[in-house]
Amino acid sequence: MATDANEGKILILATESCAYPGANSVGQAHSSYPANTYILRVRAPVLFPEHFYMDCFRKGISGIIVMSCGEECPYEGAYHAFAKRIDNVFQLMKAQDIDLRRLRLTAICTVCNRPFLKEVNDMNALIKELGPPVFKDAAEA
Amino acid sequence: MSDEIKKQETAEPRVGVYICHCGGNISDHVDVKKVAEAVKDIPGVEVSHTDMFMCSDPGQELIQKDIKEGSINRVVVASCAPSLHELTFRGAISRADMNPYLYEHANIREQDSWVHHGDPATSKAVTLVAAAIAKARGLKPLEAIRVDAANHATIIGGGIAGLRAAVDLAASGIEVALIEKTPFLGGNASKLDRVFPTSEKAGDLIAYLADTVMKSPLITIYPCSEITGFEGYIGNFTLTVSKKPPADAVPGDIREKYFHPFAGYYPGQTPTEASEESLTTGVIIFATGFELYEPSRGEFGYGDNEEVITLRQLIRDMADSPQDSGTLRINNRTVRRVAMIHCVGSRQIPGIHEADEDDYLNEYCSRTCCTATLQAALEIRDRYPDTQVLDFYRDIRTYGHNQEDYYDRASEKNVLFFRYEPDESPVITRESGEYPLTVRVRDKLTFNEEIEVGVDLVVLATGMQAAPITSLVEMMKLPVGSDKFLQEVHPKLRPVEMANGGIFLAGTSQAPMDINEVCNAAQAAAAKTVALLGKGYVELDPFVAAVETDKCKGSGKCIEECPEKAITMNGNLAEVNPALCTGCGMCVAVCPENAIDVQGWSLQEYEDMVDAIVKF
Repeated sequence: MATDANEGKILILATESCAYPGANSVGQAHSSYPANTYILRVRAPVLFPEHFYMDCFRKGISGIIVMSCGEECPYEGAYHAFAKRIDNVFQLMKAQDIDLRRLRLTAICTVCNRPFLKEVNDMNALIKELGPPVFKDAAEA
Repeated sequence: MSDEIKKQETAEPRVGVYICHCGGNISDHVDVKKVAEAVKDIPGVEVSHTDMFMCSDPGQELIQKDIKEGSINRVVVASCAPSLHELTFRGAISRADMNPYLYEHANIREQDSWVHHGDPATSKAVTLVAAAIAKARGLKPLEAIRVDAANHATIIGGGIAGLRAAVDLAASGIEVALIEKTPFLGGNASKLDRVFPTSEKAGDLIAYLADTVMKSPLITIYPCSEITGFEGYIGNFTLTVSKKPPADAVPGDIREKYFHPFAGYYPGQTPTEASEESLTTGVIIFATGFELYEPSRGEFGYGDNEEVITLRQLIRDMADSPQDSGTLRINNRTVRRVAMIHCVGSRQIPGIHEADEDDYLNEYCSRTCCTATLQAALEIRDRYPDTQVLDFYRDIRTYGHNQEDYYDRASEKNVLFFRYEPDESPVITRESGEYPLTVRVRDKLTFNEEIEVGVDLVVLATGMQAAPITSLVEMMKLPVGSDKFLQEVHPKLRPVEMANGGIFLAGTSQAPMDINEVCNAAQAAAAKTVALLGKGYVELDPFVAAVETDKCKGSGKCIEECPEKAITMNGNLAEVNPALCTGCGMCVAVCPENAIDVQGWSLQEYEDMVDAIVKF
């Protein structure tokens, strides 16, 4: 309902201690960005298994931005485990001919307004260019 | 009724949806009635209301009424950021005898109405509320984790804020560690003489508090100390305090245990060798203060002319100036005419003022300098009537109680005011005429007349800037505002709390303030500490991993993954120790059976939210 089907939707996984308040900071500054963006508050993105990302694309999400705390992650070892997991997701995406740029990993701090806006606008431009994701196995079926 | 409500918590989900106008903050851009209408037929939704302010008593009572009538057993509120009111609504639910964790928050202000407008904003609100409903349907009742809290608070900073908070905490029976990096108590206030609006000696205020601190058996002072280690959580922090001898030995003449003007209150105990100590504490109060802006070389002639000084230097020098002379003397020079310039290092404007190497400017108003400047101007006029005072300002902000009087009295005492625009700031040059320096400015008060006047002294009213506490900020992961000061959760509703549980703010670590405001904040932080630790325990959110025993096949992968060693094998089943689990979720992704999840943040709930986002 928020966007028409061709516009595509961007899912943002934002960490509760860094990127989620960062997104709020963008709101406090009243800086506009595309409305086809849906932010889910997460404790640490390491919670999501590889299939979660692939399922999102299959369900019709056009782009995913993981906005983490980066090296500032409050959970010991979580960021490195997560980075490794994202590598696995890229492999799965490659196998399905899904453009790897549809999944973006970035670190956003609580006052990173400009980087937040750049990431969102870049992803929006990308999904407009690429259109909805098409899985290789679905295309061949 | 209460038992009936508890019974209903595990029944088929019936969601109550409450959408806030937030005055007009949300409803000016989001058609909230339309949102309420759009979500009312989503399966599981029982009621869908709107209210002008959901956080108000009538708003909260709306939720409580539906719970008590048995209409709903899940709550979704769509309003501002959850950091502001998630706890408010959980509290409201709890007071209606329902489990507070059967609640989900949709952020339709910071992440919608403040960044989108018109139909897209309304459509996005529908989607965000639908996603929250999807999550709420899957929520399970949870119990908070109760842990003992130390009856102990650590105050970082022994300035007037730290002293005020320490005295109040000790009076309430809480043990205090007062950590001060210098050998003296009193902080920046020690560098002042008389303070507005009462004209009391700053030293008297410091001495009054420091004497009480020194006598209290509950307060331990750690001079020459800094926090170098931090771990734990609200109620149970462990801090490492590192003491080291000061770089410059404390001179013998200020080693008596009382207040020494412009140095501070000497508490003794200056360490002679480095040492470390571990502290267990329930609350941390940041009373780390501010540092004064240091003008760059050449800024209003500073550094190039010894007749250009800061207001702090003037206050120091005036204290040594002879009292009975008709003319002010500074550094053995007669000051027939002094120029005082406001807003130095404050209210800086990109493109006009020079940014530092990080492209940063102090764009905020430092607030206290106007009254401080006028107070000094009045003191000159009162004590040295033959010295003329010229005051160059952008705007006068004598904002506090009784402070406007300073402006009125300065006019009565013939202080001459000139108003300048930031892009036409006063220019100071050295001349060979009657006066060593000349001030040139275009004066707005005389319709842009160019003024050129000789002076003996230029005083720069420099502003406050955030203290350099980067290592503490990074160690404790504290939120910092774009002005580099520590940031509270909410300026009005939670003004001395940080988002990090158990860490409070006292004074100018948060923003420029005068001593009145500093003591207000310090007492507020102390009161919050007493309220928190007074119960003897704290309740932590139960967002830790839990195993679904009927799904677990004992693969042990979660145990390998857990960095906290919070999971062990009990027979053939994994078992989580909730006291050790941090709720990071590393175990969730690796379980081949999806048998482990973080309570309140389960993978299934996220999948349900994604389904709703795709669908609506």
